[in-house]
Parts: sequence; structure tokens; C-alpha cells
Amino acid sequence: MKNIIAILDNGAGSIKTGAVTPSSPQHEPARLVPNAIIRSKGDKTTYFGHEIARCKDYSSLHYRLPFEKGYVVDWDAEKAIWDGVFSEQVLGVNTTESSLVLTEPYFNLPNIQDVYDQFVFEEYEFLSYHRCTPASLISHGKLLEAHGLPPPECMLIVDSGFSFTHVVPILNGSIVWSAVRRLDVGGKLLTNHLKELISFRQWNMMDETYIMNDVKEACCYVSTDLKKDMETVRYGSKSGAMNPIVQRYVLPDMSTNRKGRILRPEDMVLDSEQVLVMGNERFSVPEILFRPDDIGLNQSGLASTIAISISCLPEDLQPMFWENIGLIGGNTKFPGFQERLLSELQSLAPMNSEVVLYKSDDPITEAYKSAEIFAAKPDFPSHCVTRSEYLESGSNASRRKFRDWKVQAEKAHVNHAVERTRDEHSRSQPIIRPRGRPRGSTSRGQGR
Amino acid sequence: MPPKRTREHLSRQVNDPSSSTFAPELLAKRARNHLDELERSNHSELTSIDVDDDEDEASAVKYTKGRARQTLISDKRNLKLAGSSPAATKKKSTMNIRGALLYRKNLATWVDESGIASFPSSVPSYLTAATPPSKYPSRLLCTVCGYWGWYKCRKCAMPYCDLNCEGIHLETRCERRVV
Repeated sequence: MKNIIAILDNGAGSIKTGAVTPSSPQHEPARLVPNAIIRSKGDKTTYFGHEIARCKDYSSLHYRLPFEKGYVVDWDAEKAIWDGVFSEQVLGVNTTESSLVLTEPYFNLPNIQDVYDQFVFEEYEFLSYHRCTPASLISHGKLLEAHGLPPPECMLIVDSGFSFTHVVPILNGSIVWSAVRRLDVGGKLLTNHLKELISFRQWNMMDETYIMNDVKEACCYVSTDLKKDMETVRYGSKSGAMNPIVQRYVLPDMSTNRKGRILRPEDMVLDSEQVLVMGNERFSVPEILFRPDDIGLNQSGLASTIAISISCLPEDLQPMFWENIGLIGGNTKFPGFQERLLSELQSLAPMNSEVVLYKSDDPITEAYKSAEIFAAKPDFPSHCVTRSEYLESGSNASRRKFRDWKVQAEKAHVNHAVERTRDEHSRSQPIIRPRGRPRGSTSRGQGR
Repeated sequence: MPPKRTREHLSRQVNDPSSSTFAPELLAKRARNHLDELERSNHSELTSIDVDDDEDEASAVKYTKGRARQTLISDKRNLKLAGSSPAATKKKSTMNIRGALLYRKNLATWVDESGIASFPSSVPSYLTAATPPSKYPSRLLCTVCGYWGWYKCRKCAMPYCDLNCEGIHLETRCERRVV
């Protein structure tokens, strides 16, 4: 029986999705769908997710994101985007006959997890599904496979995405939750910071999220020697040649449909085109990942966070973690990211351990590719929750099966819940629930 | 002997009452406001932006007393989905789904309702997983041009790098950022 498995790497910036059949695993490339509802003032239309490819006018695009600070809060928007993904325009799967692999953020809240379950089983009626974090899929994938050896038992995944950056240690395929650390710097913050800098210094770009995202991805890089680069960009190089760091970016032109591009020395600039001069913004924006206190965020930088996370692990295993660090997520695509992180980590690592970083060719789809490999494994169905299990016991079925941070909390949670229901019983009798105001417990429909 | 000249007119700036030093709470509050602004994506549900232009009259009030949405954006799509699920066939969705779609809660509400704040401290959760503050002193960058900010504005404590940037700062951005 052909069982199609749909894979949905549900990220805050973009959804990486595809459908595989385990019997014939041709690895088709992931489709990237922006996870937003975008309204274009120029075209006067609203684009849901994948439809943005049809957009002609990229200026002043207005984004409505279902995610807030990395977690899904706007389910109306998310459903609209997922409807588009499962429809014939993108995946074209019959959801009632398929399984699903879905990713969720790290430390996803239990009440939000219940809503994920509800949507998968009650709205789309999938046969079964597996929900996990992107890092736990990496242990099935090829990122840390070196020359035919099996993936290591101890690895540390740095997942730097749209909303935030997490440092996730993985031991024997399962995440060590007490050592996971979160840095609240993500692609969205970097783009907004760049918008502010450019708006103050040159043209007002506060509404131009799409264009500034392109500028960030084209021009920005991570510098390994910040002091030297600061001096170079300000005073120029000694030989008097053109400043090697300053780049000029030509903004896209809507009327002639020209895309934005970096100005090369031999290019000509038309009068109608607007040019941005990118000086120290090129490296000071990604610098926030390594020094968040540059913008006043009181958190440690990425290298310090990795050191802190490893120090929370058992001492005899720490050298193995230093040697197996994997990088995923869009922010790791900045040129110079790996070199800078390596040099900072080498000064923080203990003397007798070496630091090895693994970076994939495409960090954005790395979790998706690992999910493909995972879905093709013969024991994959044993990791899934089936629809019949859900209809029988509600979200408890997924709580039991998907091992996440709540495993340690389960005992505490049960005690807490017992106390709470006791309070609720004594309190809820005289209160008449007003109409139209659901308490938090509506999302926990069954099972409670 | 001539009278000794008093040193009052040479008193240092430190004792000068007109140059008030900034309380760290004000600076922290300003930093927090700035960070919140950076986290924002340009959407607010109270405006009528996500409704088409020709339906202005319907978009006037989007909130009823019960904070439910009146129009769902996901109902407006004409898509073909295979299968017989409620999403595909426009069947009525279950109570849970309709509840989740109609009532939008922001992240703070979700965190409160999840009850993770009351977990014992040995359990890791979203609230405990943030990295600790940095051990290194922060370095200041000029707010005007981005070079090292070696000097701070007297009135609002924003860093700048040289006289040119100080002039630009005083004309445009100073005092407005004071909370």
C-alpha cells in the first residue's frame, strides 16, 4: 500500500516541505514556502505563503506572520498557509491517506502542542504523524557523518533561524533538555536592525522588509577581525585603492522589474536607480549574533552560549561534544560565520579538546533532508501517533509518544494538575461561565 | 594680601546639577523598548489591513466583546484539497479547531496558560532556557555612523564617535529617545 509521507519543516520564516513515498525514496528537493500572509500594496492583492512567487511589486510588502517570537499564535493565518501547502498547488497530497512529519520549536508550550495535534487529526485528518524539533531529526541525517562512519553519539546542534538561535546538545539521539540554551537573536531581528540603520543613515526602508532581507543576504558577512574591519571601512586601505569593504547595492526597480543587485566596479548606474552604500553595516549586523550587547540585549554571545551549554553536560563527555558541533538554520549562511565561530570557540574550549564544526551545503533544508531519511527508515511508523490513538486518548497519546522537555516535568505536572483540578472543583461551582469567553481549557478538548 | 580667589567657578562637571547622570533603570527601559520594536513584524490585527480594499465597511470593527474574530482569513481561500477532511470539504470543523481559529492569544497569554511558570526549578522550560547575561563588558557603537562610540551624549547617554556625529545626533535623535 503506497503510503505517502508529507514532511513539513514548519519554520517561522519559511516552511520546507515535500512528500516522499518510503517504498521509492527519490530525494526530491524541498519546496520553500514563506510562512506568512503577504499583502502587496502595489498589486493590491494578498498572497498566502507560496503565492508570493506571483507577486510583481516587491515594495512595501506587509507581512502577517503566524509566529510570534518563535511559537505559533495565529492559527487562522497558519491554517490558511497550510491549506495552500496541502492543496494541489504545492504538495497535492490527500491528507486523509497520508502520514506527516512536522517540526515544532524547541520548548514548545504544552497548550500549543495540543493545538498542533488538533489541527493534524481533527482538521486535516492525517493517518498518523510525528512531531519533533528540527535538531532531533539531524541525528538521522548526514550532517555529522564523516567519511562513512555512523553519526556520533554526542553532538551539539546550533540552530540559528528566523526567530531565535538554540544550542541543542544531543546524546544518543535524544536531546539533553537541561543543557539547551536559547539566544533571542534571529534573522528577523537582524533584518529589522538593518532597516533601522539604513533608515537613519540613508533612505527610509522601515516598510521594506522583503528588500532589506535581500540586502542582508547579499551584502552582510561575519568579520573575523572586527577592529581591523572597522578601521578599514572608515579610513580606507593604505594603498589608496577603493575601499574593499564598502559595497553599493542597487535597489530593485519596480517599474522596470529589475531585481536588486550589488554594484560591480564596471557597472553603470542609471539616474532613476537608488543606491545604498553598505559600509560597516555589512559586518555589524551579523555581529549581533556574537555580541548581543551591541544592541542592548543582555545575553551572552553565541560562542559563550555554546560553552555554557557544554559545561552543563557530564564532564567526561564534554570533549566529544566540542568535536561534533553542527550548524543548521538560515543565519549560518553568512560568509565567515564558520571561521568566526571556530576562532571564538577555540579560545573557550579546554586545552586538550579540538573544536570541529560541521556545516552543510544548504543549512536551511538540512532538517528537511534528515527528515526524509528518517521517514524512509523501517521503524518510522513506531514513532508516530496514529489517528485512532488520538481519538481514543486525546493529546495524552502524543505526550506519551513524543519525548520532549516535558519528560522530566511529567511527575511535577501530574502533581500540579491534581492540585489544580481540586481547586477548580471547589471554585467553579458558583461561577457561570460567560458566553464567548473560553477559558484556556478549550484547547484541551479531549482527554481532560 | 589679596583675597584668595574662591574655586567656585572652577567646580567640576560632576557637581554641576544641570548634568544629570542617567539612572540605569531609564537606560534599561529604553533598551527594552528598542528591543521590542525590533521584534515586531509589521502587523496589528486591529487595523483593516488584511481585508481586501473593497470591503472597507466590513472591516471597521474586528473585535466583538468576547475578543473573537469576525472574519477568518482562512475561510477566504478557494483551494482544492484532496480527500475528505474538514479542511478539504468545507465541512464544519470541530469545536477545538474553531476555538483555536477564532480567538487569537498572544504569546504572553499562551505562556501564562501553559502553567510552565509553576514547574519546579529543576525542570527546563521556555522560561529557563535563555542564555545568562554576558560576562564581558559591552562595547558601545556610535549611533550615527556605526564606528566605536567613545563618547556619550550628555543629555541622553547615547554613544557617538566624533564631533560630526555629535552634531548630527544633537540635531536629530537626541532627547527624543529619552523615556
